[in-house]
Amino acid sequence: MEAVEGVEKLGKRNMMEKCYIGMLGADQVIGILQDLPVKSVVAFGMTCRKFRELTESDAVWACICRREWGRWAVDAIAGHKVAWNWKQLYRQMHAIDSVFCRQLAQKGEATPSPRASHSLNVVSGALVLFGGGCEGGRHLDDTWIASVTDDLADGVIWKQVNSGIPSGRFGQSCTVVGDLLVLFGGINDNGIRQNDTWTGQVIYDEDSNGRISWKLLEVAAAPAPRGAHAGCFAGDNRIVVYGGIGPNGLRLNDTWMLDLTEGQKPCWHEIETLLSPPARSGHTLTWIGGNRIILFGGRGIHYEVLNDVWMFDMEGSYPKWVEVCAHEPNPPNGIPEPRSGHSSTPMFGGRVVIYGGEDTHRCRKDDVWIFDPTAGNFVDTAASCTSSPDIRVPENTPKTSVAHKMWKKLNQKGTLPKERSFHAACAIDCGCSILISGGMVDGEIQQDVAIGLRFDAELYLLELVP
Amino acid sequence: MASGSKVTLKSSDDEFFDVTEAVALECGAIKNMIEDIGISSPILLPHVSRKIRSKVIQYCKYHVESQKPGVSEDEIKSRDQEFVKVDQAMLFELILAANYVNNQKLLDLTCQIVADMIKGKTLEEIHNTFNIKNDFTPEEEEEIRHENQWAFE
Repeated sequence: MEAVEGVEKLGKRNMMEKCYIGMLGADQVIGILQDLPVKSVVAFGMTCRKFRELTESDAVWACICRREWGRWAVDAIAGHKVAWNWKQLYRQMHAIDSVFCRQLAQKGEATPSPRASHSLNVVSGALVLFGGGCEGGRHLDDTWIASVTDDLADGVIWKQVNSGIPSGRFGQSCTVVGDLLVLFGGINDNGIRQNDTWTGQVIYDEDSNGRISWKLLEVAAAPAPRGAHAGCFAGDNRIVVYGGIGPNGLRLNDTWMLDLTEGQKPCWHEIETLLSPPARSGHTLTWIGGNRIILFGGRGIHYEVLNDVWMFDMEGSYPKWVEVCAHEPNPPNGIPEPRSGHSSTPMFGGRVVIYGGEDTHRCRKDDVWIFDPTAGNFVDTAASCTSSPDIRVPENTPKTSVAHKMWKKLNQKGTLPKERSFHAACAIDCGCSILISGGMVDGEIQQDVAIGLRFDAELYLLELVP
Repeated sequence: MASGSKVTLKSSDDEFFDVTEAVALECGAIKNMIEDIGISSPILLPHVSRKIRSKVIQYCKYHVESQKPGVSEDEIKSRDQEFVKVDQAMLFELILAANYVNNQKLLDLTCQIVADMIKGKTLEEIHNTFNIKNDFTPEEEEEIRHENQWAFE
């Protein structure tokens, strides 16, 4: 910026002069630090004793935590009491390298049967599970609800609340927008792909029993029918859907947005972009705050499984897709293997957590990875719900070296869930924890040959913040 | 009071200076003083030298003028950028003055310039830009480097 250069030039002429920044009071320095990227704050604190003390202050780091994680996440994390000052808290949350897993007891008169490609969401304080596919390729059309307001360590108590509406299906996308569940597409057991859109709302009666009121959403036009696509919340009452397998069995690469702004008729519209990720199914989309979405993996049109990462940037008048990490068929350690049918959930700090999935031979996985788009200087500052970071695509940096900085494999402790794909997952507590439900797991192994596949009904809690 | 009324400001080096009331009201602290004691007596600003006071008034003047229709956001921004092309001594005195007279816009503008001067710089570059004297012992330096390693990985 011109003015900055101007001040710096004049400063350099007077090298023997005093340190003018030393004139500032603590409040002014803290005010300046609060808007700086973390690296700059830390560097500034390494210059002298006075500034070291100021940059250690809770006022600075509490502000940084709020800026990078958003207010809700800060409250959720602060409740875990993991550190005794804000700088330490930031550092710990920045450097998470383990996940603690435990299986949750599922109670109730009945519990959801084994299934895969179903949806699992938390909305209005309730855990909602819908549909999916099971043995024999049959679809399910049941809706289950459980409370998540109590300590999950004691397990969940399920109650079946609907069946038949929406019609049975698997491979749908189901996204939370405010207090609504929004379900789109999927495939039924006749192989018919759908493009109907449903909204679901949790309704509590006088005894605090919840049920879901599902309604078919009337829209003028909708995307082509599909299953195994991905959908996610896109900020501001919007949903974005990408790809999937269309009516003739071909994989799609179109991007659609559903606008649910109050007071307007809900409508789908296609977003045309110059460049888009190669067509695929079984991939994931995750909103990382602001106007950005991360896409990962899936299976492409030549049946190859992928591990490329793309960012959908909705900043400005022309949304665009940007390739963040190229596909690496034989990745080195430190980059996840290609996969499809994995799950992705958002984590505070604009990060994405990937779990499981299957490789090209349909071998299932159980690894957990964090993807941090701010590492490797790809994004200027962490995307939180309030900030608008700049994207800088490193021009001559080979994409692999950047990918290496953004991926981190987590150590798993506790009771690990067995390898699975096409399970359902949702983040709770602003991404401090993740619930994993069901999915396809390897069947019996006889003499080194896996026989068939098995549908699972287990529920696991993966905790990122102790 | 008519908007054409004059307010007298008195800086630390005993100079008197008249401004329109609209300009004076740009500064929160001056606004408070006017509300308390009216505009007939001079407003005393003992912590602000003549030079800085005149810069601050210059800022307030063009911000009052730019509230008239027909002045674009871009014009205001570009005037702001020209305004802060000053040496470090002036820049930091402006921050202190803006804080003292409580002109939030000027404070935000000047602090942003300083933030931009720090952003993206290495430790050595920050030392050089601001002439900050390193007063750590070698042991302290080692300790600091070690405990902050995580931010640079």
